[in-house]
Amino acid sequence: MATVDMSGIRKTFGASVALEDFSLAIKSGELVCLLGPSGCGKTTALRILAGFERPDAGSVVVEGRDLSNDPPEKRQFGMVFQDYSLFPNMTARQNIDFGLKVQKRPSAERKEIIDRMIAVTALEPHADKFPHQMSGGQKQRVALARAIATSPKVLLLDEPLSALDAKVRETLRDEIRRLQLEIGVTTVFVTHDQHEALAIADRVGVMSAGRLEQLAPPRELYEHPTNAFVASFIGTVNRVQAVGADDGRWRVLGRSVVGSSPSTAGATNIAAVRPEQIAVDSVEGGAGVVESVSFLGPMTRVIIDDESYGRVFADIISADAAGLRPTERVRLRLRDDVQDVVLIGDAA
Amino acid sequence: MRAIFRRENRLGLVVLIPFAAFVGLFLVYPTVVVLLKAVTPHGELGTSALMRALSGTYRTGFIQSILLSGWSAIIGGVIGVLLALVVKSLSRPKWLHPTLDSWSAVASQLGGVGLAFAFIALIGTQGIMTKVFSNMGINLADYGITAVGFWGQVLVYLYFQIPLMFLVMMPAVNGLKTSWREAAAIMGASPARYWRSVGIPLLVPSTLGGMLLLFVNAFTAYATVYVLNPSGALVPLQIRYLLQGNVITGEEDLAYAIVAWVILLLLSSLVLITVMQRRTLRWTSS
Amino acid sequence: MDEFVTTARSGVRPASLLKWAFLVGIALYFIVPMAAMARFGFQSVPTALLTPDKLFTGWSVSGLWDAMTDPRMLAGMKTSLLLVLFAILLNLVLLVPLAIVTEVRNPHLRPYLTALTLLPWVIPPIALVVGVAATFRATVPWFLASVFSLVPFYALWAMPFTYRALDAGLQAINARTLYEASRSMGASLWTIIFRVLLPNMRASMVAASCLTAAMVLGEFAFASLLLKNTLPTEMVIYQAKNPRGGLAFAIFIMVLTAVGLGLVVRSLRRRGLNIQTTGI
Repeated sequence: MATVDMSGIRKTFGASVALEDFSLAIKSGELVCLLGPSGCGKTTALRILAGFERPDAGSVVVEGRDLSNDPPEKRQFGMVFQDYSLFPNMTARQNIDFGLKVQKRPSAERKEIIDRMIAVTALEPHADKFPHQMSGGQKQRVALARAIATSPKVLLLDEPLSALDAKVRETLRDEIRRLQLEIGVTTVFVTHDQHEALAIADRVGVMSAGRLEQLAPPRELYEHPTNAFVASFIGTVNRVQAVGADDGRWRVLGRSVVGSSPSTAGATNIAAVRPEQIAVDSVEGGAGVVESVSFLGPMTRVIIDDESYGRVFADIISADAAGLRPTERVRLRLRDDVQDVVLIGDAA
Repeated sequence: MRAIFRRENRLGLVVLIPFAAFVGLFLVYPTVVVLLKAVTPHGELGTSALMRALSGTYRTGFIQSILLSGWSAIIGGVIGVLLALVVKSLSRPKWLHPTLDSWSAVASQLGGVGLAFAFIALIGTQGIMTKVFSNMGINLADYGITAVGFWGQVLVYLYFQIPLMFLVMMPAVNGLKTSWREAAAIMGASPARYWRSVGIPLLVPSTLGGMLLLFVNAFTAYATVYVLNPSGALVPLQIRYLLQGNVITGEEDLAYAIVAWVILLLLSSLVLITVMQRRTLRWTSS
Repeated sequence: MDEFVTTARSGVRPASLLKWAFLVGIALYFIVPMAAMARFGFQSVPTALLTPDKLFTGWSVSGLWDAMTDPRMLAGMKTSLLLVLFAILLNLVLLVPLAIVTEVRNPHLRPYLTALTLLPWVIPPIALVVGVAATFRATVPWFLASVFSLVPFYALWAMPFTYRALDAGLQAINARTLYEASRSMGASLWTIIFRVLLPNMRASMVAASCLTAAMVLGEFAFASLLLKNTLPTEMVIYQAKNPRGGLAFAIFIMVLTAVGLGLVVRSLRRRGLNIQTTGI
């Protein structure tokens, strides 16, 4: 399959800069998610890759060929749009057939591919329906089938699940990943939902204000965010003051740990501490007051208002949280099994 | 329907009844009388008046009216649709779209007397365009482009047909999502291919509906034909002739019959237009 | 549509050029007849004698002035303005309560009402006049003797777009929610209508009135065939006697109507009310 190499992309719309020095290298068969809040440039990057926008600077190289000057018609990509974009005057079958007809494939081959696509996306009962007769989930599956039927070099998905109900979103998300792995097509998936990105991507590129902040596998993004934005965008994070000791280690929430960079005595920094890394002890006269206790199933989220650390989120195994009540006084502590923390910048 | 008579809907009835009475008295009553008289010529049930209304000079009248309305609907329709498509595709300058929206809303109402005068000044015997072309050696009358000529009249009708078609088609054209175009492109389709497979099929129902609307609009136009060509063979003028000269009994029956046919034409057009609208709505709301 | 037609140069693309040529052509088609009318009406040089060097001579508004001061024309203007006024009043009196009650309390009436208000469209002036002659003229000739007998019929033909305008206005302000909220605060129906709903319907009422005015000021068939003297019928008579003046006046009226309607349409679009002027 195809490798994708976008380098040095810059795109402005009038006075606003949508993408600034954006570079992305994708390996063949990989599923990369572009993740970020609205306006971060992720959709612009995708559209430049597809050929719907021309960058002001930079190049798009696919399989070693520079596609920067090729119109979308020539790129041989597949794309799934947020609003499904199914042709309303055609049935599911005809929609899937469209790209194959454009490729001038013989009709026997077209039929075989269409039948296979319909089977693989479980669309048999809806194959001859029109888009207005289908639900959102069904339509998106048709859109997916249509996009991959033509054996594209790269598959592009622009927030394909945003318009769907939560339950449908989850099932479809896993289906997309399953299909993608089966076919092995290089895929770029744009979304603003971090759970989607973390669940299915090989690597996730977190974007903010036109820049790629960090490109890494999901676990690494979660455990080792490289800056404050990524840390707070992925999952929940507590920003806790870290004080440097003279042995190069940092003091965080009552314990001495290794920081992502060495300390000097008296230096201060901010540590990104995940809720599940915090332990809560009921202590009379403790510095923290429990604000709320929310039972979430396996974990319980406790929100504490602490004198030194401010508002802190802690996720505790429900069995351990059984005794906690609001207005109780507690002491916060970094869990014993946490050996290192991520530092995300200097304290104010 | 029974819901209307429930107690809590009494206020609705109180307000509806005067209105319904008004419409009944001034619209339904005269129309029903005409329709009844059309099928009872000389007081007896029969289709003789209806048949006579479709023969002889009246037949010519209907054919002329259909031709005139038809051609202005087709030409006006095509130009109107093209105008809508062109305007949609041009994102600059920013004032283009709203200006044309306002213009079409206004211009579609500007038929009538004033318009007829304008074209007399343009292509009448003393018309300035007639003079300019004759200076160039072209006699516009040879092509029927005079105030009384067929194509001259079509030209006049286009003046309100084009804005009307534009007005009616803009929503449909706007309903053509850009993402369809993009989806087609990414699958390798050229613009021509997109239009052939998706764009045009989607626009056909509303275009047909629009042209039908134009046809009806032109068929019942009176002021324009009266001023330009009062002795012409067109249905509205024939109705006038029968109405004002109905000294001979029996002639009234013809007027009723002609009107009955016209109403039938309008009613069936309305039904067809509604069907077309529903079709488009179904497709573009998915 | 043109965003991703990638071409090497960033200048004017041939497709754009074609589109603009088309637009210019259409613009010319619409401007030239008006220009011809203005020339005829305001320039006293006869067409036969017109040569390029005489193009800017003989311009005056005397034709327009003569037309505006002609007694018959004045009478026609007065009559038509009164017809406009009464038609608008009749229409609003009949339709505003109906529109309000339908939107606010009896939404199930709406399809019947929409169909009912579409009926006048199916029976245009040229058809209805025959019916009127067959019924009213025969049974109550005194009714048709007055020029104001035109009022109910004009109100009828204004109905399609009037109702739609009022309905659009009510839906745009979420009249139903406003009504229910006001009721829950204890307001009576009359209070709600006069203090909550009507003030918010001003825009659509103005729009409906302007469309009615345009329609009435241009309606020729019905008035002419019932032998009434309204502005359009007088204009035709005047134009036969006095072509220059007639045309000058006609273009004056057209410009006035166009500007008036145009302003109304623009101000409506700014409020997000897209009122259909076709009625269908």
